[in-house]
Amino acid sequence: MAPEERRLREEVRAFLAGSAPSPADLPRSLDARIEALRGWQAHCYQAGYVGRAWPREFGGGGRAPVEQIVVDQELAAAGAPEFVNVVGLDVLGPSLLRFGTEKQRQRHIPPILDASQIWCQGFSEPEAGSDLASLRTRAVERDGRFVLSGQKTWVSWGQFARWCGVLARTEEPDPSRPRHRGISMLIVDMNSPGVDVRPMTQITGHAEFCELFFDDVLVPEENLLSDRGDGWKIAMYTLGHERGTAALPRQVKLRTWLDRLAAALGNRALDGKALLDDPGAQVSLAQAMIGIEVLRYHAQRTVGEFLAGGAVGPDSSSVKLLMAEAEQRLATTAVELLGPAIEQADPAEQDEDAFWEETYLYSRAASVYGGTRQIQRNIIADRVLALPQE
Amino acid sequence: MELELTEEQSWISESIDTLLSREWVAPQDVSGASAVRRLQTWTALVEFGSFGIKKDSEDGLGAVELCLIARSLGSHLASVPFLGSAAVRLALAPQARSLPAGIAALLSSQDPIGVALLEAGSGWTVERAGTRLSYGRDGLKISGQKVAIEQLQAAGQLAVLAMLDGEPALAITPAAAAGLTRQAQRCFDETVLMGTACFDAVAVPRSSVLGGPEARTVLRRLMTAGALLAAAEAAGAAGHILELACRYAGERRQFGRTIGSFQALRHILADAYVRQESGWSAVCYAAAALDADDLQATQATSIAKAYVSRGAREVAHSAMQVFGGIAFTAEHPAHRFLRRIGVRAQQFGDAAHHERRLGRELAEHVSQARSALSSPVLAEAASA
Repeated sequence: MAPEERRLREEVRAFLAGSAPSPADLPRSLDARIEALRGWQAHCYQAGYVGRAWPREFGGGGRAPVEQIVVDQELAAAGAPEFVNVVGLDVLGPSLLRFGTEKQRQRHIPPILDASQIWCQGFSEPEAGSDLASLRTRAVERDGRFVLSGQKTWVSWGQFARWCGVLARTEEPDPSRPRHRGISMLIVDMNSPGVDVRPMTQITGHAEFCELFFDDVLVPEENLLSDRGDGWKIAMYTLGHERGTAALPRQVKLRTWLDRLAAALGNRALDGKALLDDPGAQVSLAQAMIGIEVLRYHAQRTVGEFLAGGAVGPDSSSVKLLMAEAEQRLATTAVELLGPAIEQADPAEQDEDAFWEETYLYSRAASVYGGTRQIQRNIIADRVLALPQE
Repeated sequence: MELELTEEQSWISESIDTLLSREWVAPQDVSGASAVRRLQTWTALVEFGSFGIKKDSEDGLGAVELCLIARSLGSHLASVPFLGSAAVRLALAPQARSLPAGIAALLSSQDPIGVALLEAGSGWTVERAGTRLSYGRDGLKISGQKVAIEQLQAAGQLAVLAMLDGEPALAITPAAAAGLTRQAQRCFDETVLMGTACFDAVAVPRSSVLGGPEARTVLRRLMTAGALLAAAEAAGAAGHILELACRYAGERRQFGRTIGSFQALRHILADAYVRQESGWSAVCYAAAALDADDLQATQATSIAKAYVSRGAREVAHSAMQVFGGIAFTAEHPAHRFLRRIGVRAQQFGDAAHHERRLGRELAEHVSQARSALSSPVLAEAASA
């Protein structure tokens, strides 16, 4: 490890030892929880640990991109809460920095960093999931404004967001042109009249995401990101970015979960024998660990291209596939190994059982969100292996 | 860990590829390659400097460079005594200064080395062996039988695991020593030239035997180096057959379409690509860790070996599925890759061996962490 990296890691560890709340300490009610998480992100921002690599002129730290990855790894290792404005930081913020006007960046970047204004992304629709290019939400230009109408879904933190990055058709569909033409990216104020937000309950029991309804919502022309028709280009940049940078911190989180699972197995006995001493359980744990560690090795080898040029190549699809595989294998291993013990329902282990059940349920989304496993395979087949098109 | 290749490393990789394209035969012809051809290829590799292995702080090849060479050899399905020769030297190099003279001499020679660890019915643990070293008049004598010694016919020296005073030791003996009988052994991949050796009180000087704690260290490192290089070679073989399958999918037509346009095949190949590339990342990481003398190197190698042993085989299976019936014919090279991968997957511990080991270590680590966490609390309670 380079000395400067070691110094940064030690600095973040010291900061976290002093101030990181444990997720268990956060308020139970969702509203209060979100407020606490805003406070946590702001606190980290003040300390220089949010947007560390973003330009200084917009409130960022102006440091090398690798430093943010190091910071995020340390946050994950310490079990610190995730940043509540994750969509702003990982998805829309990078797009604003890349494609936004000076005014848009001045307006939006600082409140993303300190979580004073939360962002959400309006990409998917009920009839446009993996087939994103078939989206129907329309934005018609009238008197210097866009009139937005349509429906979006899977909008994480939509109920708490002040801004939404919305993909909408700004031109009538033309069967003679590719469907991803004529799509634009609009920055939509969630306080505008005509925006309706309906939280959806997930299989985990939480309502992290929402449906959004736009009923003739007026969007000022200045809230167009980049040019008309650039929406698809921005969306692809955004999704690649998300896949390329999130893996290394996520890997650290998976590693802490693996250690947690090993500890839980050490605490559990079946038929008078610690589960952890069972050779079959040990091999299952090892297989889960191999998936998690290989994710790190591969992400580390391929992140170089991102750190060098800021652009994320098709190898981010490999990382995304490995990340989903590692997470799902770990979570499945956990419920398979703990399963019998969970059925025994030892009241002292209730919180631990609930954690693994929720982690397992949540893991099922890992091969769906951000582009399904099948979409990632298509990207690799097209762009890496150059196989003939379907 | 720096995982990007330096310019020099890329140059080594390209040069070995060029060398093998010139000296070695095409994959479909490997079983017919003559002894002369094998020797010629080996000589060219030696002349290139494939054994200028780094000792102490000197310049030379490290684990990363040797893995690059192994990957090329796997990709070309070369039949040369590289794996054992490189693994033994990589294992000895850090101890170069403190080794007995007869063993240290290996580091400055370029003799092909055969690794004689296994015995009939034994596994890949290097803690014990049935083969023994006993004290003779002028030195020691090796007695016992070893199996699955790769490239035995080509080896000039053998590195033998044998028990000395009840402890594992490593003895080096010329393959042509008196009392040593060698025999060819059937192998899943005939081109790796496997053999068995019978040691009938083979005399070795004391200076060619390493015992005690140093032997344990070198033997463990030999297992690590061997596992890593075997994984690198399997990755090379898998990479090549995958490349052939992708090319075939882009040319072969059925149902009036190129078969590579069918999603069923595109997804098989995409998954194989991910397995292949991530397996190579694991090899690179472990090699870099070994070169950096990182404490995690052994664990990283077990991860890489377990992952690549399963992954390379999976890649070969996928590629054969894409080829269809033609890959089931003896003249098609597919089975040559499959066979080489199968052997490399076994050597120096198969996936199951390394998974068991990693799992055991993980369990032990948890127990240790728990006792470490609980002790200060106990101490407090005692003082109160």
